[in-house]
Amino acid sequence: MIVLDPNGEKMNLMALNVGPTHPATHHCVRLLAALDGETIVAGVHEIGFMHRGFEKMVERGTWQQVIPYTDRLNYCSAMMNNIAFCRAVENMYGIEIPERTKVLRVIVNELSRINDHFICVAAAFQDLGGTTPFMYAFNPREEIMLIWEKLTGARLTNSFARIGGLYRDSYDGFEDDVLAACKSVEKALKDLHACLDRNRIFLDRTVGVGKISAERAISYGWTGPCLRATGVESDLRKDEPYYDYETYDWEVVVGTQGDANDRLQVRLAEIEESVKIVRQALKRLAPGPVDIVDPRIRVPAHKLAYQDMEALIGRFKSVYEGVRVPEGEYYCASECANGELGFTIVSDGSGHPYRIKVRSPSFAHVSAFNELVEGLTLADSMATLPGLNMIAGELDR
Amino acid sequence: MSNEAEKPNFITTSLDFLVNWGRTNSLWPFPYGTACCAIEFMSTEVGRYDLSRIGSEYVRFTPRQSDVLLVAGTISYKQAPILKRMYEQMAEPRWVIAMGACASSGGFYDCYCTVPGIDHIIPVDVYIGGCPSRPEAFFEAMFDLQKKIKDESYMKQRAERVKDQLEMIKAKTEQAKAEAREFAREKTAELKEFVTEKEQELVKKAQFWKE
Amino acid sequence: MESVIDILESKFGAKRDASAKWDACVVVPKEYLHNAVEFLKNDPSMQFDMLLDLAGIDYLTYPNHEGPRFAVSYAFKSMKNPGRRVRLKVLVSEADLKVPTLTDLYASANWLEREVYDQFGIVFEGHPDLRRILNHVEFVGHPLRKDYPAQKRQWLSTTDFLIPELEKRLEDKGYKVIQRSKEIMPVEEEYLEGSIRE
Repeated sequence: MIVLDPNGEKMNLMALNVGPTHPATHHCVRLLAALDGETIVAGVHEIGFMHRGFEKMVERGTWQQVIPYTDRLNYCSAMMNNIAFCRAVENMYGIEIPERTKVLRVIVNELSRINDHFICVAAAFQDLGGTTPFMYAFNPREEIMLIWEKLTGARLTNSFARIGGLYRDSYDGFEDDVLAACKSVEKALKDLHACLDRNRIFLDRTVGVGKISAERAISYGWTGPCLRATGVESDLRKDEPYYDYETYDWEVVVGTQGDANDRLQVRLAEIEESVKIVRQALKRLAPGPVDIVDPRIRVPAHKLAYQDMEALIGRFKSVYEGVRVPEGEYYCASECANGELGFTIVSDGSGHPYRIKVRSPSFAHVSAFNELVEGLTLADSMATLPGLNMIAGELDR
Repeated sequence: MSNEAEKPNFITTSLDFLVNWGRTNSLWPFPYGTACCAIEFMSTEVGRYDLSRIGSEYVRFTPRQSDVLLVAGTISYKQAPILKRMYEQMAEPRWVIAMGACASSGGFYDCYCTVPGIDHIIPVDVYIGGCPSRPEAFFEAMFDLQKKIKDESYMKQRAERVKDQLEMIKAKTEQAKAEAREFAREKTAELKEFVTEKEQELVKKAQFWKE
Repeated sequence: MESVIDILESKFGAKRDASAKWDACVVVPKEYLHNAVEFLKNDPSMQFDMLLDLAGIDYLTYPNHEGPRFAVSYAFKSMKNPGRRVRLKVLVSEADLKVPTLTDLYASANWLEREVYDQFGIVFEGHPDLRRILNHVEFVGHPLRKDYPAQKRQWLSTTDFLIPELEKRLEDKGYKVIQRSKEIMPVEEEYLEGSIRE
């Protein structure tokens, strides 16, 4: 198309469609860019290719049946979403979960965060053409996956948390496995830093690319590592602590530039902090119950159902009717791998959720994408995208 | 000629074996990964499981260079036309694997926006269960697909294709002949009319001069 | 937290939302929404500088519900005072599905409002680009309304065109489109040709 630029000069622009079937857009973002040579003058982007009706589907099941759906929001760190949802519902009940559950949830949260950040960094490298770091990042990931298999029975979408407890207690040897995984995570981090820190090609492609100022990022509603990369020290684990996060010894990682490189570096540094938290949490892991004792909220243990009439009724009622969450509306947010994952929950007091709205961090990040890439070259736009870590399940829900 | 090739003989079976051997051991997948299954596919690709052991050496992100369309993840109605176009852009021979519950049947998203199985849009060769499928299940599917490919006969397909082409050519020739005949008939009729007109004119002229 | 609610109550005629038992939420009259949000964002004692979420709610089948059918809930957070949050709620009746937009105050409002429009059909007045975002262009109806059947599927024939939006974006940035390319001009018959079900 032929346009007049703001100075009144004639320009011949080309409209180019990028994605959604592009290796870097992960089948979930489509960008239509007006190109002047190789520079993007303006762009519009479109999402919704993976919209699968989370919010409609959860209205049709019971409260417990929401948990598998939350798994598939951010599937790279499935259990964090479970825990975030269960925390919201537990807050509505006003119940306090047992100490061991809190610590186990912290461990699971942080290992999931490590998993998620590794995938993000690995995918970023892969999109820029580096296969070696991709392999490095997946080694510790596979070890954590093995722990998940032993702990929950599934590799990726685990559905581990329950309202008022956990699916089950940890297995024998859990602590040793986690410690071994921590070691392998640290080794992989060393390898990744060796690939990343002084890699000329990588730095040329990411430093100063896709910059955003802190004010603009806040206006766009950015949270999590992407916001922290712009230099804003904001982390819900510190600001509104839950599960005793404030008592662990760790630091909020912040970047300085807010560019593509910072977003990846912040993630790598956060992995280190997460390892720290996991190590401390393992020391606090004292024996004790994992579920609260209230058959109206948490299903009684399976073996009790054969001995105890109350437990049988409790199981029967909560499976057929679902737990009855108090009537009202509530917004509760937790710090997930990508940022603030919030649930706006409307309950009418029945066994089914009336409405659950997910506040997904990726949605906010991706909404700024066309502003980020305008003025960059087309190749740089693909270097910007993976740092935002858009996960289709969370973006389109 | 067509009858000869349809019957298996030593040459055709050997050639078949050779072609199938090549095809089974270099299946290059095109990962159409939209959701959770794509992450499991990534795990399949890397170190611990290592997809290149079975010759799927390199993942191609373009439909033109790949043999297997691997649909990993939910396909929504917004995505459906794109998936169909991708499939149509792939060169023959091509195969499709539906990885995971969502691609096979829509999974537990029985909803206004998800396609209940990609077989509503494109043909599928192998389905894998699981939500998401484990890497082992993915390997099983690849082995199934390899078995399927080994049973295919390249020569037979080719013979059929040649037969089809021959028939097409025959039909076209017939049609052309018929058209030519028709044309000739029309022309003759026209000429005859012309001649009779001329004759009549001459007769008229002769009569005029006589008078 | 109580002070925020008190100020909103005295200044903008807001009322405390009775259904919000666990966090601060006020119901604001529709005509004062923009002013209230501007106050929340800019007042030095408030500084709610992040719009986190917009949640549309359809009260059609809510037991014993009185009042308008729809509501939009805005979640705000303050970055300067960590831990401060407030929710505003606007009630929207079915006869008048209009809410003032917040796109001039928060950049995140753009997509969030598009999503609520897409899912509930609530129109945001003054929104620069109110289109569907999650559902496809040929979708009819608003799926998250309680009277939309969950399994009513709608096929799409062709992907969205997006060129008009690109031109609009160019014009917003000060460019002036004087000639469109021939090959990207939409042809009406081609645009809707060939359903994928054929």
